[in-house]
Amino acid sequence: MSELKEKGNALKAMNAKDRKRAIGDIMMNNAMFIIIAIAIVLIALKEPAFVSVPSIINIINLTAAKLPIALGVGGCIILAGTDVSAGRQVGLAACIAASLQLTTNKLFPEMGVQAWYVALAAVIVVGAILGFVNGFCMAKFKLHPYIVTLSTQLIIYGIILLYLQLGTNSGQTLSGMNPAYRELITGELFRIGNTVVPMYVLYSVIITIIVWVIWNKTAFGKNMYAVGSNEEAANVSGVNVVRTIIMVFMMAGALYGITGFMDAARIASVNATTGLNYEADAIAACVIGGISFVGGIGKVSGAIIGVLLLQVIFTGLTYLSVDQNLLFIVKGLIILVACAIDMRKYLVRK
Amino acid sequence: MKKILALLLALVMIFGLVGCGGGDSEEGGNEVGEVAVFWYTFGDTYLSSVRAAMNAAFEAEGIVYQDYDANNSQTTQTEQIQTAITKGASVLVVNIVDASSDDATQAILDAANTAGIPVVFFNRSVSEEIVSACETAAYVGTDYTQAGHMQGKMIGEYLVANYEALDLNADGTISYVMFKGQEGNMEADARTQFGVEDADAVLAENGKPALAFYDAANTSKYLLDQNGAWSAAQGQEHMQTLLSKYSEDNGNMVELVIANNDDMALGAISALQAAGYNKEGAKYIPVFGVDATDAAKEKIADKSMTGTIKQDAEGMAQAVVDIAANFQAGVDKFEGIDEANMVGTWRVNIPYSAYTGE
Amino acid sequence: MNKNQEPVLLRMEGIVKEFPGVKALDGVNLTVKAGTVHALMGENGAGKSTLMKCLFGVYHKDGGHVYLEGNEVSFKNSKEALEHGVAMVHQELNQALKRNVMDNMWLGRFPKTGPFTSERKMYDMTMEVFNDLGIKVNPKTVMSSMPVSQRQMVEIAKAVSYNAKVIVFDEPTSSLTETEVEHLFRIINMLRDRGCGIIYISHKMAEIKRISDEITIMRDGQWIATEKADDLEMADIIRLMVGRELTNQFPPKTNVPGEPMLEVRNLTGMYNHVKNVSFDARKGEVLGIAGLDASGRTEVLESIFGIRQRKEGTIKLHGKECKNRNSGESLKNGFAMLTEERRATGIFGVRNIRENTIISSLHRHKKFGPLLGKKSQYEDTQRYIDAMRTKTPSQETQIRSLSGGNQQKVIIGRWLLTESEVLLLDEPTRGIDVGAKYEIYQLIQNLAHDGKTVLMVSSEMPELLGVCDKILVMSGGRLAGEVDAKTTTQEEIMTLAAKFA
Repeated sequence: MSELKEKGNALKAMNAKDRKRAIGDIMMNNAMFIIIAIAIVLIALKEPAFVSVPSIINIINLTAAKLPIALGVGGCIILAGTDVSAGRQVGLAACIAASLQLTTNKLFPEMGVQAWYVALAAVIVVGAILGFVNGFCMAKFKLHPYIVTLSTQLIIYGIILLYLQLGTNSGQTLSGMNPAYRELITGELFRIGNTVVPMYVLYSVIITIIVWVIWNKTAFGKNMYAVGSNEEAANVSGVNVVRTIIMVFMMAGALYGITGFMDAARIASVNATTGLNYEADAIAACVIGGISFVGGIGKVSGAIIGVLLLQVIFTGLTYLSVDQNLLFIVKGLIILVACAIDMRKYLVRK
Repeated sequence: MKKILALLLALVMIFGLVGCGGGDSEEGGNEVGEVAVFWYTFGDTYLSSVRAAMNAAFEAEGIVYQDYDANNSQTTQTEQIQTAITKGASVLVVNIVDASSDDATQAILDAANTAGIPVVFFNRSVSEEIVSACETAAYVGTDYTQAGHMQGKMIGEYLVANYEALDLNADGTISYVMFKGQEGNMEADARTQFGVEDADAVLAENGKPALAFYDAANTSKYLLDQNGAWSAAQGQEHMQTLLSKYSEDNGNMVELVIANNDDMALGAISALQAAGYNKEGAKYIPVFGVDATDAAKEKIADKSMTGTIKQDAEGMAQAVVDIAANFQAGVDKFEGIDEANMVGTWRVNIPYSAYTGE
Repeated sequence: MNKNQEPVLLRMEGIVKEFPGVKALDGVNLTVKAGTVHALMGENGAGKSTLMKCLFGVYHKDGGHVYLEGNEVSFKNSKEALEHGVAMVHQELNQALKRNVMDNMWLGRFPKTGPFTSERKMYDMTMEVFNDLGIKVNPKTVMSSMPVSQRQMVEIAKAVSYNAKVIVFDEPTSSLTETEVEHLFRIINMLRDRGCGIIYISHKMAEIKRISDEITIMRDGQWIATEKADDLEMADIIRLMVGRELTNQFPPKTNVPGEPMLEVRNLTGMYNHVKNVSFDARKGEVLGIAGLDASGRTEVLESIFGIRQRKEGTIKLHGKECKNRNSGESLKNGFAMLTEERRATGIFGVRNIRENTIISSLHRHKKFGPLLGKKSQYEDTQRYIDAMRTKTPSQETQIRSLSGGNQQKVIIGRWLLTESEVLLLDEPTRGIDVGAKYEIYQLIQNLAHDGKTVLMVSSEMPELLGVCDKILVMSGGRLAGEVDAKTTTQEEIMTLAAKFA
């Protein structure tokens, strides 16, 4: 609070030109918050229900559901890379999680319903293995992340298709999951009025905190930023570049695994299209939140803001009953504009 | 050392692939070439069941076949077809990607005719004009409008039987939401249109007012899967978002859910259940889908879903296999097909049937 | 020497540039006359680069005027400046490295035949300029395959091809060998005789005295003095720059080399020409490595540190063999290395001073299990900002916004924090001003005094003679000899350096 006051006083002390520039700077640096605020106000003016409790909780729920995958992709982008296999990894994780929780299991008829932690462990391990493959190819063979994940994305899709044909399932949607598992994810955390806030919001918060600590408070996190901003310098400075890259992708894989674990219960039916295009939104969210493709730049808070902004806009457009076809155009424009505004922060001022 | 390892790895992979491929074309040595089957995507749930049935039928008839996945790209599919022709396929079985493109259909037919290979299209519609002009082509499909009509009729009848209980806010009309799977797909268009129109027709016969789309401002009167993937995830998300605005508390609860396919319906059910509906002992919002997938049948059995329209996967697969076998044998293409299902000289329609678990 | 009567080409008056919280330039004046070389001097952060950036429109100046041949100008970007005949040869060359020489020369104004660019014309025009300047480079050579000196020549040729009237040289000799410097000076003299005005920015006193006609000195963003070069003694320049007396260029030697500590045997590179290099270094010794460019000096240091692959060779510290297969392992074994190319392999540009400082010593900050404590990070960083007298607004500043010398100080701080026993320093004072150089020499002395072993590569002979105890001379990838810094001469070292070249 006193800091704000100080800033206010400093503003008053400046001459008109400086003040204008300083205010401009403040607005630029908080552009995303301002955009979110303006978006909410405009939508709410037309559709007051947009700022009602159920609506706000809906946005929070959807944001929470998409945050882990965005954080995973975010780490890859900080490495000056990307991960287009994220969506398919979520899909595979969802298939695996669901297959271990089916009450009538056509994939593995002999196997009963497994405990939730078995499913969770399975998806995290699978995610970490896929991440390892991604990271290993990048670090050891010096392949561009886009090429690597483009390839693994195809491979993973193939695995999903094969997996869904196990037993007598023949590619069918997986549905009818163990109620205890669904309750664990979508059960009631607390409620406001009649609106339920589900458990996965809590999980998402916990995951976000863990990721924040890893990025900011561990040697691994510092190394990640270092490798992203200058791989050669990191190599000279005693950072194990190969291990860092692999670990970032393994962590991302684990986060996709968790996203899949939550999505299988959230949507309650899983098939080969599950996870389709998730990476597109996740990458867009990260970039909007200032996680730069230049490498070495980006914060957890950026990913949160990015996901939130996208969700506010998408939900808002539905509230406004915008024509379904126009949605695509609006979505593209928003990503462009948001990134352009955010990028200005990082331009060297001249 | 590394180079040798890489080389070895590459060799192993190539041999591995050759080995895999060999499994399907083991008996390819005889005169008759294999039947090449082109799927628009392996990711489609309903088509996966057709594929399972078709593979089984081919094996039962002792016909060698090869499946191709176009992964939703017409370009990929056209190229796959060219490759298969060069490889010496005896019959092409095509689940065309671009159902609305006559040019794609014509291009495939031209390529096949030049090589003297017959073509069986199935599931995804092709133009009558083009197919009927070609003696060695046939189409196995459904009357794509039929699913919508049947779904609409089923909904109308269900509503008339349970009207008061379903009209939650007692305003005399039922408000509904429609989930559309994809833009520019004739089946999706027809289901979106007739699912409501035919229901309205039944309601009108019984003196009830027409259905009202839950959001009067929405002129398109449907919510769309943005990825065109008919996916459960989008069904869930749309439903969850609309439930945050429309609820019983606000007196504007959506009283009916219609989806173009079962996956989207299942997604919507998940969101409804999260909001406390369609569970045991809870209020019930009727949900209708199309496809009668196993997952949907389970939901109907446990009363969280109302009804679906069954596309006969086995029937379609069998018809395709029969026609392909006729082509291979050089007899009349429709020999042994139920005449009631035949349309002219070019098409076989596999009938839909309503499924409500009874 | 009648040059004061020459017409004024460029006049900058009362230039002011403010950054948030800092007045980077405060009413700076600069007058460049035709046919003269005007040296611009000042410590790192004195504002020389900022002044030039204001001239070229890279920064927007907040006050003052620029006159080119009497007309007020205000360039929006360096292209516009070029078109008006004002060119700059950068300290760190910004070139399209993957393209060839002539592509770089004519970038943005490719000669054309009809609508198509003409390779033939481009080649001929390039050769014309090269012949004029006596540059022997094939215009079709790809930039990245040429040494820095040649790339710089291309940059000069480019300026000449624009018929530049005013050419700015920013630290042009920092990566050149003696012969290359001679060539550069010949070209500069030639340009001067044609009536160009040259602005020459450098830290090297001897060069300045040799080449310049007038000298402008800046300090802390302010104009301090403009004098004729003949009227200023070296000590005067230093005094004006630093604002205090610096009597000695090198600190007194206080270190006493003790028992043998580092033993390198048969060092042979896997992918370079370093062959059978063997030497010993004592505890508390400063060991210099001299040699021409491409003599393998850098490769020796990098091979020891494990960032270049060795084919053969053993490294022993205290008699114990160190494998040093990568930088991490070398660090654990007690080695630290300051690399030559600061921007490419030194700084993490977009990260802040603190992260750049602590990245190699993260294990020191582990507090709760794998979690890092914040306080110790602040303290370590602050200690080295203070100790190195790094000029930075805060620890949170992105390192890329600091001047080159201050970046170097941060990187040195990074390595000192590792408390390694052996410090491998590759050109530790490159691009650093006199005052800071002295500080770094002092630091090297202190390290040796505290019992560390310092291996130092430098292209500046006086520096090696002034700081080191012993000097290894490399030539053509081999060790040509070892000399005692107290008794040797520059001539002896040069002779050795040419032995296998």
